[in-house]
Amino acid sequence: MTGLVGRPVARVDGRAKVTGAARYPADNPVPGALHGFLVTSEVAKGEVTDIDTSAALAHPGVVAVLTHRDMPRLTVPSFPYPKGFIPMQDTVIHHVGQPVAIVVAQTVEQAQEAATLVAVRYRTERPRVVIDDAAGAPYLPPPFRNRPNEFKRGDATAALAGAEVRVEARYSSPARHHNPIEPHATTAQWDGDRLTLHETTQGVHFTKSTIATAFALPADNVRVVAPYLGGGFGAKGPTWSHTMINAAAARILRRPVRLVLSRAQMYTMAGHRAEFRQQIRLGATRAGKLTALLSTTIAQLSNTEESIFNSSESARLLYDCPNLHVRQEGVRLDVATSSYMRSPEMTAHFGLETALDELGWALDLDPVELRRRNHTEFNQETGQRFGSKHLLKCYDMASEAFGWSQRKRRPGATKDGDEYVGWGMATEMHTFGAMPSTASVTVGPDGKVVLRIGTQDIGTGTYTIISQIVADAMGVPLDVIQAHIGDTALPVAGLSAASATIASVSGPVDRAARAARDAVVGLAVADERSPLFAVPADEVETRHGHLIHTRNRQRRDSYGAVVSRAGKPVEATGSGPNLPGLSYGVVFAEVRVHARLGSVRVTRVVTAHDIGRVMNRRTARGQVIGGVTWGIGHALMEHTVYDRNSGRVVNPNLSTYLVPVCADAPPELEALFVDEPDPGSTALGARGFGETPITGVPAAIGNAIYHATGRRVRDLPITQDKLL
Amino acid sequence: MRSFGYASARDSADAVRLADRTPGAAFIAGGTDLLNLMKDGVQHHRHLVDVNKLDLARVTESASGLRIGGLARMRQVAEHHAVRARFPVLAEALLASASPQVRNMATIGGNLLQRTRCGYFRDIGSACNKRVPGSGCSALQGWNRGHAVLGGSESCIATHPSDLAVALTALDASVHVLGPGGTRRIPVGEFYRLPGDTPQIETSLRPAELITAVEVPRHPTATRSRYLKLRDRATFEFAVVSVAAALDLRGHFVRDIRLAFGGIGTKPWRSAEAEAELRGKNLTVERVEQAGRVLVRGAVPRQDNEFKVELVQRALAELVLGLGGLR
Repeated sequence: MTGLVGRPVARVDGRAKVTGAARYPADNPVPGALHGFLVTSEVAKGEVTDIDTSAALAHPGVVAVLTHRDMPRLTVPSFPYPKGFIPMQDTVIHHVGQPVAIVVAQTVEQAQEAATLVAVRYRTERPRVVIDDAAGAPYLPPPFRNRPNEFKRGDATAALAGAEVRVEARYSSPARHHNPIEPHATTAQWDGDRLTLHETTQGVHFTKSTIATAFALPADNVRVVAPYLGGGFGAKGPTWSHTMINAAAARILRRPVRLVLSRAQMYTMAGHRAEFRQQIRLGATRAGKLTALLSTTIAQLSNTEESIFNSSESARLLYDCPNLHVRQEGVRLDVATSSYMRSPEMTAHFGLETALDELGWALDLDPVELRRRNHTEFNQETGQRFGSKHLLKCYDMASEAFGWSQRKRRPGATKDGDEYVGWGMATEMHTFGAMPSTASVTVGPDGKVVLRIGTQDIGTGTYTIISQIVADAMGVPLDVIQAHIGDTALPVAGLSAASATIASVSGPVDRAARAARDAVVGLAVADERSPLFAVPADEVETRHGHLIHTRNRQRRDSYGAVVSRAGKPVEATGSGPNLPGLSYGVVFAEVRVHARLGSVRVTRVVTAHDIGRVMNRRTARGQVIGGVTWGIGHALMEHTVYDRNSGRVVNPNLSTYLVPVCADAPPELEALFVDEPDPGSTALGARGFGETPITGVPAAIGNAIYHATGRRVRDLPITQDKLL
Repeated sequence: MRSFGYASARDSADAVRLADRTPGAAFIAGGTDLLNLMKDGVQHHRHLVDVNKLDLARVTESASGLRIGGLARMRQVAEHHAVRARFPVLAEALLASASPQVRNMATIGGNLLQRTRCGYFRDIGSACNKRVPGSGCSALQGWNRGHAVLGGSESCIATHPSDLAVALTALDASVHVLGPGGTRRIPVGEFYRLPGDTPQIETSLRPAELITAVEVPRHPTATRSRYLKLRDRATFEFAVVSVAAALDLRGHFVRDIRLAFGGIGTKPWRSAEAEAELRGKNLTVERVEQAGRVLVRGAVPRQDNEFKVELVQRALAELVLGLGGLR
């Protein structure tokens, strides 16, 4: 074993990315491609009554302006297409920013300019776009993907009534957008009834099936290519309608067409985190044992789709509580459909972890101790014992590193210069998915190893980790491995979403690599030209690309030599069952709040996570840095503003939708890991992790602000004006 | 973005001539705001006159004060030793602006002429009297957390976004322009206009007039001057509230004081009334608080920006008491 798995291996694709050699979907040259640009609805509700395309058509370079009158009839795919309708199939307007026409021109500039010349007339109705303005009362939507929106355990209402201590509070968070740095891009190229898409997608195979459904094509007529992704965060999990409209345009025009969304269009066309309300009621004993947990959430739904994406897993699963009632309600509004956003579960988790902090103060009990007293080793819904759960160890590690024992048990007790200093914490938790995947490994006569798997690297380090796995499984150095991913021509793998990539691909990649290794060893020991001829296969070790007889290390061969003598490449595949599960952790935060101005700085963060085996400490730490930084954004600044009168997004750009900058990130960040392989893992001891380290951050910061100032802010983001 | 014509001017006179003969022409220098506005369809110009080759980028100090060329870049001015030593509020306001990349490109003249960050102004689908006169103001009944509480009208409550302009307002600077009618010197207090019922007219510049320089007079207050900017993230964001203060102090006695504010007014906001509460008196916490109350007298807060009335008073106290050694 070279033992690369678990080490902080630098990204194998790092050089390609920083030198520009990495071709992202919109970079890939497609000969003869035209450029599309969408015209989108100015109004939030109503109907298109007329579209005058004549001025746009007369514009230089314009090839076509297509509207609902021109579109082929498409089939609305089901999950993971979360929109409920396809625009430009009729004249109805469901939300601002809905595509109403596509301009196709020789250059992108011509298309953009001509798009401003398309004159659209509407019949408009006054929209309702925020929860406060909803026409109907919140309701319980039907099950989403067979999962109900209501969960009950014991008798929560009675337990709450009889509880020794009760906490009841309401929390809210605004709509928020993913804002990957790379805009959504699609290039459609038809060859008869066969379609190739260069697509910014978190799942090439999911895009393939979505598009095949929409166009009623045999699935294998669609090929989707996405070797690199400039961030997705859930926005590129679903395949959205602009991909369908662009592909339809390419088919009508019999030319490849490329479409890139503008930044502003990304605020209405590719999902978001829904505006959200939450009421939490906790009942507990004076000793701090939870006896009742009631959580009712209200999410902003669209008029075309009633899926609840921000579900309440942590309320159901994280703490020991015999009496539970979770309701996930929604209201229908004239907005674009929301969808998954890193992490969907954090939205409701903010309320739970803040309410627990409030309970801790009510009980005069340390918040870490409160969580320990409600720790559980059992899945609250199945009653089964968790095979591997080291959350208590996370509390130990992080509180030790943070110096939590020095915390003053009174709000507003620490002042440093002009600032109050506060410490807060929250548990982190995230479920992770696992999707069927298949990998193939080929060894060439030059000793090079090619790994093929239709997964994606959404920026998290997939290329690197799967290369580490192959290196270890085969005993070859990293630099002979070429990983090919992000193409439906490769063996099927799942969506890179739900923190599922590691859990989905590690096992199959390892099995394929081991099978390839065994096949090469088998060839060597059967080949009388090999120095290893007739050596028992279990006495052959592979190291640095060599095959070595363990009892006589002078007898050795190499992958290249064996395969070269065999005369053809050796290929093996791997697949197998994958299991979903949970990852855990804790985040401690220190904030400084200006005593008179209310400005907040996050100055120190310590995290500890139990994610099973850490496959690559560097990329895992990268997830923590990203999660903490984005969590700061959610806590302190990020919010999408809808104009209540027009339904328009008022801040659809990175100038007015504030995301954290480097100066907002904590100067000190320590990311600790338990690093105990999970014996139940189907991924070499690892578990899915990516979304976990954002989940507790907003609550930890809010709790720290309370500790600093005695002010409890339950509505995100916690801007300066709320602390004056 | 719509297509446009382009010409590069040889000198100032050439620039004015080129702009004057093409209706709807605009000057382009750093382009850090203009290009965004044109790409977003907020502004359309049939013709751009590039002034980057003009010899207007120098910063010079003389006995009478500082002269900053209209094409000096923000970074260059912020790093200039005379600016840092004798006009620190200017350097601080510049360094609190934008990002290093933008400051490398953006010019002083362009900075003064940048357009408001009001989301409705920058969204061509929304009603905005500043962008399309007579179309209405979406901010009055819409999202107005970032908007002005002073100087607004029923036509417009958008703030002016420049930090530099706030500092220049405190320093009694003047703007030198060259136009078809020759040169003019405009005190910065007269350079910006209140919106009234013509919010589309933001400055007293006439057509084809080019900012050639900004002159900052030497003054006893300038050396003890500071800029405090409060905003929703640590950097690269416009002010929620900002204060520029310049103070001539003997002991605790305020010989003279200049106060200007950003984020609260529809133009960079000078308050002679607030200054009068402090000038010729000993600096005390109570007097500074009284100055704050005087400043916001007549403020008209809207549903989302009422906090600015309180926040700007606290920011004023923070800065002036800090400058006076009382905090």
